Amino acid sequence: FFPQTVTENFANVIHGLKASHLTDLVIQRSKRMILDTLGVGLLGTSTEVFHKVIQYSKIYRSDASSTVWGHSDFRLPPLYAAFVNGVAVHSMDFDDTWHPATHPSGAVLPALLALSEALPQKQKFSGLDLLLAFNVGIEVQGRLMRFSNEASNVPKRFHPPAVVGTIGSAAATAKLLALDQFKCKAALAVAASYAGAPMANAATQTKPLHIGNAARHGLEAACLASLSLQGNKQILDMESGLGAFYTDYTPRFLPTLQSYSWLLDQQDVAIKRFPAHLGTHWVADAASSLRKHLVESDDSVPISRIKRIVVKVPDVRYVNRPFPNSEHEARHSFQFAACSALLDGSISVQSFSDQNISRPELKELLSKTKLEHPADNKPSFDNLYCEVNVTLQDGKVFSERCDTFYGHWRKPLSTEDLKKKFHSNASSVLSVEATEGIIETVDNLEKVEDCFVLSAFLKGTQSTKVLSKMCLS
Amino acid sequence: MWTAAEETVTSSFASFIHGVQPEHLSEVVRHRSKRMILDSIGVGLVGSTTRVFNIALRYCQLYASNAVSSVYGRKGLKLSPTLAAFTNGIATHSMDFDDTWHPATHPSGAVLPALLAASQMLPPSSKPNGLDFLLAFNVGIEVQGRLMRFSTEAHNIPNRFHPPSVVGTMGSAAATAKLLSLNVTQCAHALAIAASLAGAPMANAATQAKPLHIGNATRLGLEAALLAARGMEASPLILDDIPGCSGFSAFYGDYRPKPLPLPASSHKFLLEKQDVAFKRFPAHLGMHWIVDAAASVRNLLINYSGSFSPSLIRAILLRIPVSKYINRPFPESEHQARHSFQFNACTALLDGEVYLNSFTDGCIHRQELMELLAKVLVEHPEDNIANFDKMYGEVALVLENGDVLTGRCDTFYGHWRKPLSRESLLKKFQSNASHVLPEDKVNSIITTVENLENLSDSSQLASSL
Repeated sequence: FFPQTVTENFANVIHGLKASHLTDLVIQRSKRMILDTLGVGLLGTSTEVFHKVIQYSKIYRSDASSTVWGHSDFRLPPLYAAFVNGVAVHSMDFDDTWHPATHPSGAVLPALLALSEALPQKQKFSGLDLLLAFNVGIEVQGRLMRFSNEASNVPKRFHPPAVVGTIGSAAATAKLLALDQFKCKAALAVAASYAGAPMANAATQTKPLHIGNAARHGLEAACLASLSLQGNKQILDMESGLGAFYTDYTPRFLPTLQSYSWLLDQQDVAIKRFPAHLGTHWVADAASSLRKHLVESDDSVPISRIKRIVVKVPDVRYVNRPFPNSEHEARHSFQFAACSALLDGSISVQSFSDQNISRPELKELLSKTKLEHPADNKPSFDNLYCEVNVTLQDGKVFSERCDTFYGHWRKPLSTEDLKKKFHSNASSVLSVEATEGIIETVDNLEKVEDCFVLSAFLKGTQSTKVLSKMCLS
Repeated sequence: MWTAAEETVTSSFASFIHGVQPEHLSEVVRHRSKRMILDSIGVGLVGSTTRVFNIALRYCQLYASNAVSSVYGRKGLKLSPTLAAFTNGIATHSMDFDDTWHPATHPSGAVLPALLAASQMLPPSSKPNGLDFLLAFNVGIEVQGRLMRFSTEAHNIPNRFHPPSVVGTMGSAAATAKLLSLNVTQCAHALAIAASLAGAPMANAATQAKPLHIGNATRLGLEAALLAARGMEASPLILDDIPGCSGFSAFYGDYRPKPLPLPASSHKFLLEKQDVAFKRFPAHLGMHWIVDAAASVRNLLINYSGSFSPSLIRAILLRIPVSKYINRPFPESEHQARHSFQFNACTALLDGEVYLNSFTDGCIHRQELMELLAKVLVEHPEDNIANFDKMYGEVALVLENGDVLTGRCDTFYGHWRKPLSRESLLKKFQSNASHVLPEDKVNSIITTVENLENLSDSSQLASSL
C-alpha cells in the first residue's frame, strides 16, 4: 500500500467533487464573484492593453471559436479567447482579491466560458457544471496558497495569479472536461511548467497578461492532459515542483470528500469599488473620511491650506509610487489614492484617466505627501490598516483611520451595490437587456440548463429577449 | 539613447540586442553557431517521430489558422508561427538529444524554432537573409549565456527551475526581437514581457512534459517579441535588481546582474570562449561521462576474461556527482531512462554504447539489463561536483573473484573540451534527419546551413524542413 501523495490527493478530489458538495454559502459567494468578474471584464475590453492583445490574438483566428466579451464582430479560438478575456478582467485591477492574496476568478472564469463554447454541439454544460468547475478552480488556488507562509503576505517575488491561478485554471478545466484522476494529475503537473511571473511587471501594462496567461495556460495544460500528455506525478509534493516558486513549502492533503469543506465558505473575497490595487482601498476610505473635516462635500479642497499629508500603510514597494506616470502606476500608488480621494471625495473609474492623473492640483497634493510604515502595519490583506494625517498651514492636524474598507471580506458589498457595480461596468459595452440578462442568469445559475446563454449575452447579440426566456428551465 | 546616468542592466541588454551587427560575429562564433543550428535541426527532425510531439501537434492543429510556418518532418503542414515554434521546440528536446552549454542550459532549441517560424511570417520584401538569421541566432544564445552569469546558482546542475524555461524564454525573445528589427525600447519590453512567461520547475524533468519547457521557451519568447512589436509595455527594470519587488531575479536565490558592453566596443560573444557540448545519444548530458567510463571498463573486462560475461560481476560501483533527478536505480519510462546514471551505465556495459533505440520499451525492460541494474551501487565522491565543467564519471566492476576493474571518463567525446569532429556531427545529423527526410533533402540542408551567411532568404531554411 502506497501512501497517497498530495498530488494524487488533489487529482482525486478534483475528480470526485460533485455539485452536491457545494454549500449554499459557497454558491452564493461564487455567483457574486462570477458576476463581478464578468462586469469587470466587460469594462476592461475598452482598455489599451486589451486592444493590443486582441490585435495579437487575431493572428490565430480559426473556426473553433469562442466569444470575446463585448465583441460580436469576431470570435477567437478558445485558447486566445481565454487569454484576451482574462486580460480584460485584470486590465484595470478591478477584479476580486482573496486572502491569502491572489485574484482568483479572472484566472478561472474566462477559461471555462471559452472552453464551454468550443466543445462538440451535443456536449452541453449546465450552469451547475459551470458553478462546480468554477469552485474547483477557486478552491485549488486557495489550498495551494496555504502551502507556504510566504503566500499570506502581499507578494514580493512571483505574482500569485501567475502561480496558483494557472494551476486553478487547469483544475477547473479538468473538472469541466470530466477528466479521470490520472489526467487531472497530469493537468496539474503540466500547468506547473507554465506557472510563474515576476512581481516587477505589476504596475505595468503587462500585469493583466498574468491573469490572461494563467487562464489560457491552465486551459492548455488540461487540454494537453486530456490528449494523454503526462508530467511529474508528484508535482505538488516536490520542492522542485510547485515548491520551486516558494522559499517555504509544506504541501497538505485536502479534506475528505465525505464532508468537503470549501475555503470560500470560511473566507470570502474582497470586491473592489474602484479599479486599483486592493491596498489603496483602505487609503481611499481613510482619505474620504478625513476630507469631511476639511470641507463640505461639494466644495473643493483648499490645497494651499494643506502643509503635509502623511499616509501610514504597510511597506509594500510596488504600491509605493510618489509620482505615478501612467494609469498602471496610478492604480498601484498609495499616494495617488490618498490625494485623489482627498480632492474628489471618492475614487472611480474616471480617476485614472490621463487628464485626471496629470491634473496640477493632484500633483501639488502629491508633492506634499509622504508614506510612513508603522511596525504594527503588516503587509497582509487580512491585517493591514491605513491612517491618513493632514497637517494644515495653521498647525491643525486631522487624522482618520480605516481598518476595514467597504468591499473587504469583513464588510462585503451589499447585493445592491454589487449589481450597481456590474451595471456600471457592463453597460459600457453591452445593451441594457444583455446586462440584465447576465444578472438574471448568474443569479439563477444552478437552474440554467445550458450555459451557452451566458456567452451569448456576453458578446452582445440582438436577440437577447429570446435568450432571456431560454436561460431559466 | 541612454545616457550614462540612465543606464540600467535592462537597457544595456536592449541596446546590445538592437545595436549588434553581423560584423561583430567572429569566425569562431560563426562556425560554432552553424554547427549548433545543424545539430538542432537534426535533433528536431528525429524528435518529430516521438509521442510527445504528436500530442502537441494534435493540440496545435485545433488552432491552425494563419498557418505560415513549417513543422519539422511534416511536409505540407503549416501552423501559426508561435504554435509551429512550440511543436518544433518540443521535437528538439523530446529525446534530450539537443546541445548543452555551460553554465547549464539547452540553448539552441529555445532559439532556433522561433527564428524559423518568424522568418516565414515576414512578407517577401523584408525576409531576413542568412547572415541576419545567424546574427539573430547568436543574439539569442548570447543573451542566455549572459543571464546565467548573473548567479552562482546557475553554474551547477539545476534543482529548482529548469534553465531553458528561464533563460531560454529570454533568449528567444531577444533573438526574435533582433530578427524583427525592433527598436531599442521594444527590445527592452520584449525581454520584460518574456520574463512573465518564464520559469518551469525541475520536477517535470524526466517526464513527458519536459520537452514542453523548450517548446514553450521558444514559443513564448517569440510571443513576447510579437507583443512588444505591437506596443505592449512592461517593466523597464526587469533585469535589474529591485529590492522588495523581484524582476528576473525571482528565479534565483543569488542574483547580481551586470550590464553588457555595447557592441561598439569590441563585444566578445560568450560562444567564442565557451563552446557547447553535442550529445552522441539521446540522454541527459551527465550520462555521457558514465557511458564512456562504462565502455572503457567493459573493454577491460573483455581483455581480462575474453568476453563480456555479466556473471563474473558481483557489483557495479558508479561514482557520480549528487543530483537527484538523474539518480534512478530502476527507471520505468523512456523519460526516466534518459535521466538515469544507472540505466545508461548498464546499457553501455551490455552493448558497448548507448543508441537511439536503447530507450525503447523492449530495451528498457530487458532481462539482462534488469539483472545488471540490480548489482549497481552508487557513490558520491566529494570531488565529483555536479557541474558540467568539472564532473567525471567512474565505473568500477567488482568481480566475483575479488578483482576490481575501473574505467573513468573526465571528458567525453562531444564535450566542449573534446568536440565532435565535422564528420561525427554530420553523421549524427544524417542519422537523425533521414528518419523523416529523403537523402537529397538531408544533404541540401547540410549545404544550406554550412553556407548560411550566403543565403539571401533565410525562410528557405524553414521551408526545407
